[in-house]
Amino acid sequence: MRNDRFLKRLTKELPLWVERGWVKEDGRKAILDHVASQGEGGARHLTLAFSILGVVLLGAGIITFFAANWSEMSKLSKLGVLFGSMWTAYITAYYLIEKKDYPHLGQAILLLGVILFGSNIMLIAQIYHIDSHYPNGVLIWSLGGLLVAYLMGSQPAMVASTGLAILWTSMESFGFDRTFHWPFLLVWAASLPIIVRLQWKHALHVALAGILIWSWQSFMHLAGYSDWAKGSALYLMQIYFAAYLGLFILGMVMDTYTDLEPLSSIVRRYGAFAALASFHTLTYPDLASGERLGREVLHGTSTYAWFSLTLVALCVAALLAEWHRQRAGFDERPSYLKWGQALLGLVSVLLLVNIFASGAYGSLMAIFFNLIFFAGLVWLIYAGMHGDDRAIVNMAFFFFAVTVLARYFDTFWSLMNRSFFFMAGGLLLIGGGYYMERQRRRITQKIMESRKAGGEYGN
Amino acid sequence: MGTKLRIAIIIVLQSLALLSMIAMRQWTLNTGTSVILETAPIDPRSLFSGDYVRLNYKISNIRLGEMAGDKDFKRHDCVYVLLKEGDPYWQPVSIHHDKPAAPPGHVAIKGEVNYMSDNVWNQETQKSEQVKNVNIKYGIESYFVPEGEGRELERPKEGEKVTIRVAVDRYGNAGIKFLLVNGKERYRESLF
Repeated sequence: MRNDRFLKRLTKELPLWVERGWVKEDGRKAILDHVASQGEGGARHLTLAFSILGVVLLGAGIITFFAANWSEMSKLSKLGVLFGSMWTAYITAYYLIEKKDYPHLGQAILLLGVILFGSNIMLIAQIYHIDSHYPNGVLIWSLGGLLVAYLMGSQPAMVASTGLAILWTSMESFGFDRTFHWPFLLVWAASLPIIVRLQWKHALHVALAGILIWSWQSFMHLAGYSDWAKGSALYLMQIYFAAYLGLFILGMVMDTYTDLEPLSSIVRRYGAFAALASFHTLTYPDLASGERLGREVLHGTSTYAWFSLTLVALCVAALLAEWHRQRAGFDERPSYLKWGQALLGLVSVLLLVNIFASGAYGSLMAIFFNLIFFAGLVWLIYAGMHGDDRAIVNMAFFFFAVTVLARYFDTFWSLMNRSFFFMAGGLLLIGGGYYMERQRRRITQKIMESRKAGGEYGN
Repeated sequence: MGTKLRIAIIIVLQSLALLSMIAMRQWTLNTGTSVILETAPIDPRSLFSGDYVRLNYKISNIRLGEMAGDKDFKRHDCVYVLLKEGDPYWQPVSIHHDKPAAPPGHVAIKGEVNYMSDNVWNQETQKSEQVKNVNIKYGIESYFVPEGEGRELERPKEGEKVTIRVAVDRYGNAGIKFLLVNGKERYRESLF
């Protein structure tokens, strides 16, 4: 629909551009043909979406049919049905892609093949009474999907494969208490080259969500659920924050490469979300002021080890920032990037000093963390405006609201009469919410106008 | 590389992955030492679901005080239990972190620690006993049977005895060969 409007506007504008000599007559036709051909994108996506939905339903139906008639079939018949259905799916996909020129339906049938491969693993385990370590079945299924994604260039297979890898690591992490399930990183890293090469946005979303879920699971295991409030968990969170910040800066670096630019906004958004969420937890005075007995609790890690680990993580983020500085050019760099560098320096100092600060200085440290956090949010709003990225601006406003509310609770819960507390809180929410929504709309409107004037950016 | 070849590679590799599951199980059944295990009454919390029977063995619960070998275990540890040939049931003699050498008439079966406990419910005396107990899963705890037959195997009638003959291969992996009721074969595992 958006493309139709764009096409109409171009059709109206182009004769004027031709008349003024900006565009030649041939160019006018070529531009209109090009935009019109892109207009089929919506219909194409709809075909793929319906095909995938159909395939999922078909897969579920086939598996249910087998299960309902299972006991009446001999073992050999069962194997024949299982292998036959999987082979048929892949051969049909081949004919649709290669012979019949139905690539989208072919992709959906490839996904059916991956679904059937997974159901075959489960059903063969049932037929032969294989009751071993069940996450391994999910891992084999995920690797089967990865194989299809690589060999057939199938994004739906990659999305399925990465989703299954997330399921696998979650099973290992929660079902079998794997503290730091590093093998997930191998499977995850194996998916990246083709995602980047073919610029698969959906698959990148799932891959980034996967690494964040994995990092959260590993954090919970490393910090220990019960030791959460202790200092060591705070120090670990600092390292995670530095890593997420690195991811955000990596997204900025990607933006400077023509090949990687289409994926950069996705990386930036996931990096920004994770960095904000982790830094937000560091702003709580209660956590910073708690007994820092945990300093040596986490697997006997010493203060200097925490310092070294934090320093390494910050150095990686700083190196990425320097890479971006080199790529963005020295002269035409906008001023917000220079402020960003200063902010990175301040954050680094704060994180390193915090390791040596005892719980007695927790409130003071929390004040600094809050100041830096709000400064970071303001910077992010500027960065979002500069990059025409509405999602980043909205995210910054969201964290701004959450943190203001958290500080209100921290500060006034014990000081004020309960009824005043809730009334004042309500007024703060209504007034502050109204003001923030106005600001957010004003900024996102500017971004929309800028987009209209300068074309699409940051999908 | 053409699309036809790519599809062929997918079909071959995925089929090989599935066939290797069957081959590994058959290898265990064909080359493994045949061991008869006594089943214990099913844990009352276990529910019969679908058409598979949950099996609980006498060797599923090992009392560390009565056993030679290692003593320090935690959840999800890989363990080896040395079984000694009995008449007819094989009995545990020791428990280890690493695979022990099995003398003649013995076999080491591999498992994973399900949980540790300091109390055990004695079915015979109907009393709780304070003993350090390790519950182990050997990968032979489920057996799929025709629909409707699972419950009678999980809760056999009075006088009925369900025993299982398993094969334990040289790596300690176990697979169910026969399911016997009162010594008579009820189900037999075959390739096809």
